[in-house]
Amino acid sequence: MLSYILRRLLQAIPLLLILSLLLFTLVNLAPGGPLAGLSRTRRASTEKTEQLKQQFGLDKPLPLQYLIWLAGNDWMRVDLDGDGVKESYGTRRGILRGDFGFSYRTRQPVIEEIRHRVGNTMYLVSITLLVVALIAIPVGVLSAIKQYSTFDILATTLSFVGQAIPEFWLGLILIFIFYAWLENPLTGQPLLPVGGMYTVGAPFSLLDRTSHLVLPVIMGMVGWVAWYSRFLRSSMLDVIHQDYIRTARAKGLREWAVMFRHALKNALIPLVTLFALDFPYIFAGSLYVELIFAWPGMGRLYYDSAVRRDYPVMLALLIIGAGLILICNLLADIAYAALDPRVRYD
Amino acid sequence: MKRHFGRIKLGLALATLAAAASLIACQPSATPAQPPQSTEQVPVESPPAQQTSITMVVAQEPTGFNGLVTDTGYEQLVGELVYLAVSEIDPQGDIYPELAAEIPTLENGGVVLDEENWTMDVTWKLRDDITWADGEPVTADDVVFTWNAITDPEKGIWVDGVDYTDSVEKIDDYSFVVHYNTVFPGYRTQFGGENFAVYPEHFCEAEQGFTAWDCNRKPLSDGPYILKDWQTNDYLLFERNPSYYEEGKPAIDQIIVKVVPEESVRKTMMMEGDADVNMWLTVASVAELEGQPGVYVSHAPTQRWVMRLIPNLAKRGTIDASAEPHPIFSDLQVRKAVRMAIDVDTIVKEIFLDYVQPVWTEFFRPPYNVCDIPRPAYDPDGARALLEGAGWVDADGDGVRECHGCATAEEGTPLSFELMTYAEFGEELELAQQLIGEMLGGVGFDVQLSVIEGAVLWADYESGGIEQNGDFDLNLYDDGYPGTDPTDNMLWYYYHTDAAQPDSGWNVGRWSNADFDALIDDAYTLDEEYRKEVFCQMAEIMDAELPQILMWSGIEANAFSSRILGAQSTVNDSLSWNVADWTLGE
Repeated sequence: MLSYILRRLLQAIPLLLILSLLLFTLVNLAPGGPLAGLSRTRRASTEKTEQLKQQFGLDKPLPLQYLIWLAGNDWMRVDLDGDGVKESYGTRRGILRGDFGFSYRTRQPVIEEIRHRVGNTMYLVSITLLVVALIAIPVGVLSAIKQYSTFDILATTLSFVGQAIPEFWLGLILIFIFYAWLENPLTGQPLLPVGGMYTVGAPFSLLDRTSHLVLPVIMGMVGWVAWYSRFLRSSMLDVIHQDYIRTARAKGLREWAVMFRHALKNALIPLVTLFALDFPYIFAGSLYVELIFAWPGMGRLYYDSAVRRDYPVMLALLIIGAGLILICNLLADIAYAALDPRVRYD
Repeated sequence: MKRHFGRIKLGLALATLAAAASLIACQPSATPAQPPQSTEQVPVESPPAQQTSITMVVAQEPTGFNGLVTDTGYEQLVGELVYLAVSEIDPQGDIYPELAAEIPTLENGGVVLDEENWTMDVTWKLRDDITWADGEPVTADDVVFTWNAITDPEKGIWVDGVDYTDSVEKIDDYSFVVHYNTVFPGYRTQFGGENFAVYPEHFCEAEQGFTAWDCNRKPLSDGPYILKDWQTNDYLLFERNPSYYEEGKPAIDQIIVKVVPEESVRKTMMMEGDADVNMWLTVASVAELEGQPGVYVSHAPTQRWVMRLIPNLAKRGTIDASAEPHPIFSDLQVRKAVRMAIDVDTIVKEIFLDYVQPVWTEFFRPPYNVCDIPRPAYDPDGARALLEGAGWVDADGDGVRECHGCATAEEGTPLSFELMTYAEFGEELELAQQLIGEMLGGVGFDVQLSVIEGAVLWADYESGGIEQNGDFDLNLYDDGYPGTDPTDNMLWYYYHTDAAQPDSGWNVGRWSNADFDALIDDAYTLDEEYRKEVFCQMAEIMDAELPQILMWSGIEANAFSSRILGAQSTVNDSLSWNVADWTLGE
């Protein structure tokens, strides 16, 4: 098992390197450049453009830019003031040494840009996933146990609806109902707040934090609940028709023990794969939820960096995301082996 | 509390909401009762009994307080709260002193002209009663320090006027002199205007460089407000600067700038009374918010942006109009026909709901809106006649004219071209593009519409920028110059022959007129009356030759809560330009 993990980790290194080359090339070869978004005037002054190119290192050939992005330039002499003389060593350390450069827009280190937001996204997505699990697992299990019952038909229908509802639209409808329409009769304020994670300037309040969470969590969870409950229902149905379930029943076990001790345990195993694939969302966040509810998270960072062509931020998010997917896939495989004795990698 | 939507009481709501409602019962109001922890040392004064607070909602987070480095417009908004400049421009386009005691002129002796060498020196006198929030005075050292940091070749940034400035020198604590290598008519706003601010020498670290120093994000204020808290991509919280130099100002204790990306949410927050300022409204939002109880929309009294058509006079994909002229748009009669065939009034009324105004000359903004250029008539029959006369005839009856004896194309060339615009503006521009396409189709053009990302359209030559490479026929977008002086940022950059070279300027239509070039040179003078004459001569040349076809102005409108008094939108600065004067009514 250990050698399998090591092998997979070693395989990930060339894969990530190839990915980094592909991502860097694709981003930089896209038509247009990163400088046009830096000025409100439609057409930036050409003098400023030239200066920015030099400050961002965009005046260098693309392969050299890639090398600097990867390995830094603190080992080579560079021309800092544009006079053609390479007078001093650079300051970049490269992504291999954890330096993702600085944002073209804010001039802040990329890692700082990520650090400010990743916690907010993890906070929102973790709670959303928790609520998803709390709703989807019982609904999926009950649907399977009570197949073709009224509950099952209702749950299945709602899950189709949940998957079909456009997330963006749902968010706006939630705001209309719970912010613009319904009011709290005790305070006269909108029933639920929108915009951000808490009331700005107010002292910390768990109630305030929770109320700001409600609508983003509902918006974020609907699609996932629908998807996970349907998946679990079908996984559960597969399992309860297996011979070992029949055996368990034949042994005289009570129905709940058959279902929860034998069937559910096995039905949950495929969910591991699903969860592993969804796990990077905890890092990436949901763009629409963050846009509609002004949540200061990673989804908006990626969106802004893509729209504004902030290449260093965009590349960092892409490469970190790619790394996370590789790691999560590996974790899923390991978890499979741990959960299912029939799976062996050695 | 203003309410737009009909309401129902909780009894009608879903039962599951009851629990949530009781949770919210204790929710604090949007106006915080207590300020958060201070992040910088400021003189302490007794807190007022009842803090007044307003919330501005904006689509994007400012990248910092320095609009010279990255200019999204949001840097100006927050920059005006904390930093002062030497001079500023009011909504009417009049320049007024801020850190300066007065605007130097020839008359008051602040400007000394060397007519022999055609250079000048400008001496600025500063007020001596303005301090930074830590009590240090704002002096000429700060101005000189700021200028030196900006012009640092390694870590500075190119700004207007830098090419004309030999040096900026301190005379004494409250005066400095600027030595110019030419006569620069834009000198009055060189240290001010929409993005320039003066930075504290004793606080900002020069070695960090102007573009990246900490005081771009952690400012030491000399403006009306002090930054207290900044949660990335969420909000910025400001409190009034107790040492602000204007007695009794600002009147509002606290300003929250909250990032709310989605426009419909910003609009709803305005209607609900949870936001007091909604920056940069679209036409649809103006129409919806005007007339709402508790909200008013402030329109700028003058305009800056003009929607325009830029015809490429060079053959598509080339950059020399004289060597390889465009088969269609190098024909002046075609350009005139295009202008005649577009019903600007209909576009203004139907798409922009009369919130924008027709514009037909670059000299439509004060103080240079003095030229008598008659408004061109909408005349589709005249356009058809013009095209017929120029040899563009629909001989085969397919609805599209072809060249039959025209001056600029081969026989049989169809009057067919691509009308390109940019995506970021949004739906209104695309509708206008479609309408223009239909109008031109009505007089015999075959128009293909395309929508391109602005970053591709305006990228530099090496990056494959469509305009710099000349890879277009007719482009449609809005543009306008900052400040009040069009000489550099509009006339030279967009119309001078030298600006037609790739990455030299933005004369991407490759129009060239030696008389016009000479007039631009003539405009570098301080004689305002003479400048107006020169500009009017330019306006006549542009009206006759149509290097660009100007159509209608942009919209500069912001929504304010009715309780805010004294706010005024402007195209010359951010909406917060006079925030120190704002007061709160009922």
